[in-house]
Amino acid sequence: MRNRLKVLRAERDWSQGDLAERLQVSRQSVNAIETGKYDPSLPLAFRIADLFGLPIEEIFLKD
Amino acid sequence: MAEDSTPGRAPLIWGLVFVVAMFGTGFGARFAHLSGFWTMVVMLPPMLLLIPMIRSAERSGNLSGCTSPALKRYNRRGLIWAFSYVAALFFAISVNDALKPEGPLLWLIAVLPALPIVYFVWALYRYLVEETDEYLKMRYVTHALFGLGLLLVVATVWGFLESFKVVPHVESWMTVPVWAIGLGVAQIWQRVRGS
Repeated sequence: MRNRLKVLRAERDWSQGDLAERLQVSRQSVNAIETGKYDPSLPLAFRIADLFGLPIEEIFLKD
Repeated sequence: MAEDSTPGRAPLIWGLVFVVAMFGTGFGARFAHLSGFWTMVVMLPPMLLLIPMIRSAERSGNLSGCTSPALKRYNRRGLIWAFSYVAALFFAISVNDALKPEGPLLWLIAVLPALPIVYFVWALYRYLVEETDEYLKMRYVTHALFGLGLLLVVATVWGFLESFKVVPHVESWMTVPVWAIGLGVAQIWQRVRGS
């Protein structure tokens, strides 16, 4: 699954650490999600969507 | 702040030093025909290498953003069980050598070194309960399953070789070290792959 996390984060000038802190996860988790090594669970995907104020499908895209 | 994870090699080096020191001392003690008591005495210094190894792993985790409060608690519990295990084994061997106990006392002495391992299994369970970072939890479960797979394969193959009298008998307490080696190999493999 692809995602726009890196772009959305860059638009806000957040580092991976900033995003990790806001999501209360490790920076490694943010890195793994951004690089497509790990697909987040539905609850974490909702938390990400809430943080960016966007629907999930505008952040996570089908391959 | 670095965007990509760049874990240092220090934990790997400490891990390697620890394994070489433990096995080296163990083989050395056997080669020198040391008694159980003196074997435990000479095994203590390499055990102390666990402290810098875990500290190094935590520093690396902090640098690479791969850490959590649950992981830190798990590491602390790891030190507790490891040193408790050595202390319990030391005590059990000493009492057995000195008193040559029989009956219930022998049972008590024999089961004593297993208790820290029970604590270790509890610590594993607690880590999975306490870890709120789903990615770190998934990674640990994957590593643990690799360790379990290695254990099942090694135990099955060795068991049949033993049945056909090809290899000597191995005590069943070796299960945890074999599993832990699998866990470590999986963690190292993930580091090498950079994921």
